[in-house]
Amino acid sequence: MKISELEKLNNEGAEHLPSEERRRFLQFGLAVTGVFLGGSVLSLTSARTAQGQVGPMGPVPPAGKFPYKPHYTMVMRQNRCIDCERCMEACVKTNQVPSYGYRTKILEQVRPLGQGESERVFMPVLCNQCNRPPCVRVCPTTATYKDKTNGIVMMDYKRCIGCKTCMAACPYNARYFKEENRAVDKCNFCIDTRLAKGETKTACAAACPAGVRIFGDLTDPGSEAYRLIHRPEKIVWVLRPETGAMPNVFYMND
Amino acid sequence: MNRGKKSVIVLCGLLLLAGGVAFAGPQKEEAYDESTYGPANPIIWTKPLKAVVFYHKTHTMGAGLSCDSCHDALFEMAAGTAQEKPDFTMDSLYKGKYCGACHDGNMAFASNTRCTTCHVGVKGYNRLTGADAKKSGKAGH
Repeated sequence: MKISELEKLNNEGAEHLPSEERRRFLQFGLAVTGVFLGGSVLSLTSARTAQGQVGPMGPVPPAGKFPYKPHYTMVMRQNRCIDCERCMEACVKTNQVPSYGYRTKILEQVRPLGQGESERVFMPVLCNQCNRPPCVRVCPTTATYKDKTNGIVMMDYKRCIGCKTCMAACPYNARYFKEENRAVDKCNFCIDTRLAKGETKTACAAACPAGVRIFGDLTDPGSEAYRLIHRPEKIVWVLRPETGAMPNVFYMND
Repeated sequence: MNRGKKSVIVLCGLLLLAGGVAFAGPQKEEAYDESTYGPANPIIWTKPLKAVVFYHKTHTMGAGLSCDSCHDALFEMAAGTAQEKPDFTMDSLYKGKYCGACHDGNMAFASNTRCTTCHVGVKGYNRLTGADAKKSGKAGH
């Protein structure tokens, strides 16, 4: 599912939203269904729980409440990104990404500043290794799963049947179908290609010449990543928080 | 009488129009003279990383600099010579070399701010050089 295609769809508008009673009835119905299905089916999370993620710390979970150990994260100092794409080159090389695929990308925006002026903004994106990953919920074969120790969203290529439901479910467009494997491929924070070999940074973070990508462990208060997103004077944001996926890639301007 | 009035009005209108053209013309767009203001095409550096863009127009016609403001003390005339030198880095700029001679926060915005004004990235490079169009023409996926 491409974002460019989704954008072409007509906006359905708000005038046909169901009435309050209908909503309550549906909510009840969904709650009952949720009980039967163990709350494990896509989009049965009620809006209330989804909003519950934005606490006093913004999108950053309160200290001590990180579900994994190590709890890997990446902090993007977005305004430093200049789209040199060395991260993408390093990723392709390290993780055998084919020419048509990607594990990380740089998006580009033009932000108007008024008075005819504008500035370019480059936004690095990759898998957000969500705490509540929509891709994992929809996978029919459990080929994609959360690693129980470090929370990385992993792929078991042998189990993947290539149905691409995870690609449609991912709010970040972070997955692609790899012809060579006949399976979906995605960023795994270089767990197999670098972290397992004793490296402390992902390939993209190591290749970045501008210090945009700070890879680290949120359970370690001494890590740079932890320090960066726990400064009270700084605004930290995540992409698409409304999905309730609880992403682990944080954005800020330094 | 009536006819005379009409022709006067028409004449006035024509004069106004002509005046408008004559006055608005040069204000809108002064012809860009390459021998005064330097090459019209952007200078694009691709080392040490892709890519940084420089427009003579912004600096000469826009900011009022002359050729010898930068040539040959900061930059040699031949385009692309700077990027062959090992010290063509942001650190050098912070020390007042190359662009950093002016981009110090006083004369022009400091080199460690507004990165994407000059750093256009691989995407900007492809747009400027037309590599995008070539690529999409070839792609048959």
